[in-house]
Formats: sequence, structure tokens, C-alpha cells
Amino acid sequence: MIASIMRVARSVATGLLRSTTFALCALIVPACIALLPVLAALRLLGSPWSWSNPWSWAALAIITAAVTLALAHPVATLFRRLVRRWTGIELPDGYRQRPEPVRLATGYWWNGSSYERTRDDAHSDQRMRRAAEPAFWREVLWMPVAAVTVLPVCVAPAAALAGAIVLCLNPSPLAVVAALLLVVVACAVVGVAWRIVPPLGRRLLTGTPASDTERGLREQRADLTAAHDAEIRRIERDLHDGAQSRLVAVGLDIAAAERLIGSRPDQARELLRSARLGTADSLNQLRDLVRGVYPPVLVERGLVPALRALALDSPLPVDVAGPDDLGLASPLAAALYFGVAELLTNAAKHARASRASVTVARQREHVDVVVHDDGRGGASFSDGGGLDGVRRRLAVFDATMELDSPSGGPTTVTMRMPCE
Amino acid sequence: MRIVVAEDQFLLREGLVRLLQAFGHDVVATAATGPEALVALLEHRPEVAVVDVRMPPDNTDDGLRAALAARAQVPGLPVLVLSQHVEHLYARELLADGNGGVGYLLKDRVFDDEQFIGSLERVASGGTALDPVVVAKLLDRPQARLSALTDRERELLSLMAEGLSNSAIAERLHLSEGAISKYTTTTFDKLGLAPDDGTNRRVMAVLAYLGDVDR
Repeated sequence: MIASIMRVARSVATGLLRSTTFALCALIVPACIALLPVLAALRLLGSPWSWSNPWSWAALAIITAAVTLALAHPVATLFRRLVRRWTGIELPDGYRQRPEPVRLATGYWWNGSSYERTRDDAHSDQRMRRAAEPAFWREVLWMPVAAVTVLPVCVAPAAALAGAIVLCLNPSPLAVVAALLLVVVACAVVGVAWRIVPPLGRRLLTGTPASDTERGLREQRADLTAAHDAEIRRIERDLHDGAQSRLVAVGLDIAAAERLIGSRPDQARELLRSARLGTADSLNQLRDLVRGVYPPVLVERGLVPALRALALDSPLPVDVAGPDDLGLASPLAAALYFGVAELLTNAAKHARASRASVTVARQREHVDVVVHDDGRGGASFSDGGGLDGVRRRLAVFDATMELDSPSGGPTTVTMRMPCE
Repeated sequence: MRIVVAEDQFLLREGLVRLLQAFGHDVVATAATGPEALVALLEHRPEVAVVDVRMPPDNTDDGLRAALAARAQVPGLPVLVLSQHVEHLYARELLADGNGGVGYLLKDRVFDDEQFIGSLERVASGGTALDPVVVAKLLDRPQARLSALTDRERELLSLMAEGLSNSAIAERLHLSEGAISKYTTTTFDKLGLAPDDGTNRRVMAVLAYLGDVDR
């Protein structure tokens, strides 16, 4: 009996606390209107404010607008946090994820939306863009909407109780009956009043699927730009420092040999030999470069045979299973190939696996590639890590990557590449 | 020797022909595509063929496929495959029939003309010539079936995979030919290769080294 009374009392108290908190949060715009008496007081003190002066209304409107704009994001964030804490419902804010600006080969900074001269410019541009997003205006709109919906509903229980207390200050039979009625009303609505916020918030405070898609595309574009840039810089550097300069040296050797061939044939022969070794070296470098851009077996045979060739070169014993002919477009095949290469490297280097397997299966609308190793597990998509890089590159093709790697192993990674 | 050259790039093809002629060989036919190569190989039955892996019409591994198809019809037809890159996978495919008479080298090996002609002659006489790059990659791989071998026997096997003869190996390792043939016998025994089952034991040993033979 006592326990159930306690339980009811606790739930009433909780409901009262929650609805009052939401009411206070929603009070902010009306509080600006409550500035009216403040302004009236100022008038008495000699300020130019008066009911008849239109400029006074303008001042009030400006103050209200400024407070609304300044507090929209913090207030909306507060609502989201409270809703998550009390109901577990997530209300995603719908703002675009802004990647950390990256410096490109041109010297400019790319922040996912625009190219800026300095890192600070890139950051401040991101802040500006944040204020221009639909998500921000949704939050601004939420302020007055909450004032006319959340505020009256959520303030009701507390107002009813306060009314009852006021009535009891001058007890008369009528007042007591009215007070009791108010208490009954308060108890009846206290459990449900605050629950108006989650459904309203879900309508008005979260992003739409379309804006989520757009956000995803922007992220991918930024990733892709950065990845391509890094790749092109690597190729340029490798060509410039490697094959190109070696070929120049070969040319010099041959020129010197030409000059010496009549007078000192032995030296000329030595130079020609050095030229020959130089060409072989440049060829080796070009070969490594090509392999890094697009593995030759992938061109010649396709994904599964290329993975077999990769497995043969791996320090681990790797079993590869799958159909030779997948009918997969070559960019998709390359993304999967480099993903598997990264995973096998991880398995050998970090997971200390003793063996691994790669299974490729073609379904009707996607290709699944499963990489399994018996290593010590504990792999994660930590930011900036190799696995995260693979996932981001796959995301460009709408491919997904699932990781199952409990500490102690084993590790299984499933990549799913959609295709026609 | 009567040689067929299959290479799609004109300059390289002419260069190869000139090089072979300079060494006194007879180039009986040239081919610039995979299907042409297959026809030339089957029609001329050369003593050895030099075939590029990547050729038209698909510009994938047409040359390699032509060589494998020709060897399927004429077992042991000697083929030296040249490529811009060497793959363990392709080496295994070439050696898989166990007949010998195959080589697989990087194109740059032609720079060292004498060694290149040496490899070509070895292939023509039924031996093998694997590029040192393939062999070096293999050395890095721990393989259960090779764990019984001593370091010296592994070394021997890797030189055998490159295609060197016993006397050449003896010279490389500064050992007598007698010692080499003794090591060769123990290596064959450890790999379970019987002396008289009608296959080329040197090729089979190399295949074992490539990790492909289940016997």
C-alpha cells in the first residue's frame, strides 16, 4: 500500500519535474515578450519607450528576434538531450557533418564545401555555412512553436498545483472544492503533459531523409577529393623523383659513352652498362607505380584471380574462394581489391594471424566479399585508420563494410558492393 | 633455332627479332595478337616461342592464354613468356602441366642479351626459366611442405626454379657438381618426388616450391 503510494508520488514528481523543465525551456521567447513591463519601467525612468511609439515595438521585435536567433541552437540542443535522457529517442540535429579542412596540392584548404586560402578561413566558412543550413532555421522556428504548444501544455500541471495552493491560502468551502479539483486535474495531466515534446520534436527538430542523403554525398565528395589528391601527388612525386630522374641519368651516361667510345672504349662500355642498369631500375619503379594505381592482374583477369595473385604474395596462407567471372565494373573491383589488400596486410601485421580466407559471392544485386582471419581481433574503425579509409572509399560506391572483431579474435569483415 | 615471336608493340617486336637474328636464330613467324599467336604456334611448331602476356584483341592476358592453349594441344611446346610484370599466379599456370619447356621473365631481362638467350635455349631444351622476382617472392613465404628442407637445399631449389643447370648451380654456390647432385637427390626425396614416374623432376620440384602440387 505504502509502496504503491510512494510509486505514484514518485511518478507524479517526475512528471511534474519534466513538464516544468520543458515549460521553462519553451518559455524563452515568451520571456522576451515579458520584457514589455521592463520597457514600461524604463519609460517611467525617462526612456523614449511608449505604447504609442512604433519604434518601441520595433525595438521589442529586434530584441526578441536576436534572443531567438542566439538561443535557438542551444535551446534545441537542450530539448534533444532531455528527450534522449527521458525517452531514449534520438532526435538527430540534421546539421551537415563538417570534415576537418585538408590542404590540397594547390596550397588551398578544402573544407568539404569550398576552397579557402587558410585553415582559419576554411573553419570560419564552415561556421557561416552552419548558420545558413535548413537545420538552423528549423531550430529557430522551433522556438515560437514550442512557446505556443509545449509551454501551455507543460505548464498546466504546475499551474494547477500553484492555483490550488493559492486557493487554500484563504480557505472557504468553495475554495477547497476548487483546489481539490485543480489537484485532480494536475495529477491527471502530470504523466502525459511532458510527452507532447518527443513527437513534436520528431516532426520539427530533425532532418529530412533528403538532407541526410545530401549530407552523405557531400562527405563522400570531400573524401574522394582528398583521396584523389593524395594519390595524384604520390604519382607525381614517384615519377619525378624516380623514373624521370633515372632516365635523365641514363641519357647522360649514353652521351658520355658516345664521346668516349673512340678514345677510351673501356670506360664507354662501363657507362653503357650503367645506362642499361638505369633503364632496368626505372622500369622497376614504373612497374611498382602501375601496381599501386591499378594492379595488372585485375585488368587481365578480374577481381577473384587478382585476389588469388594477392594471396600468393601474402606472407600468410590465404584461401580465396569465388567465381572467376563476377561481371563487376572495374572501379568497383578495384575498390574491393584494395580493401582486401588492406585487410590482409592488417591480418598479417597487426592481428598476427596464422591464416586468412577471402570469400567472394555474387548475389543478384550485390557482391559480398568476406575476409576472415584467426588473429587476435580488436580491430576498429578508429578515425583516420586504415579500416576507416577502406570504409570511406567503399562508401563512394554505396558499398558497406561490417566489422566483427572481438578482442582475442577472430576477425571477420564483410564488404557488400551493390551492382546491377 | 626456329623461333616464333608474338608481341603487339611494333618496336619491341622488331627489336626482339633483330636480337634473335643477331644471335644466329631463325624467326619463322611473328604475331601481333593472341589468336594470331596461337595459329602461328600450331602451324610452325617452333623450337621455342617468345610470347608477350598482354596483347590484343582484349589487351588482357591474350598472349598467355594463347601459349597455354598451344601447349594443351602440343604438350611440352617450349614457350618463353615475357611480361611487364610477373605474377606467381601466372608462373603456376605455365608450370602446371609438369612438362617443362616454359619460361616466364620480365621484359627487362632482354637487356642482358646473353642471359636472355641463355634462358631461351634452356626453355627450348625442356628446362624452365622463372624470373628471379618470382623466385625472390617465394623465398619470403613460409611453406609447410618446404620446412623439412635445409637452408642449402632451399637455396638449391630457388636456383633450380630460375632454371639453372646443376653445373651452373655448382658454379654459383662454389660447390662441386657431385655435391650438387647429392643435394638435388635429397631435396627430391624430401619433396616425395620419385625418380621414375615419367615427369620432369626438376619442374615438379619447382612446382612444389610454388606450393601447387598435392602429392
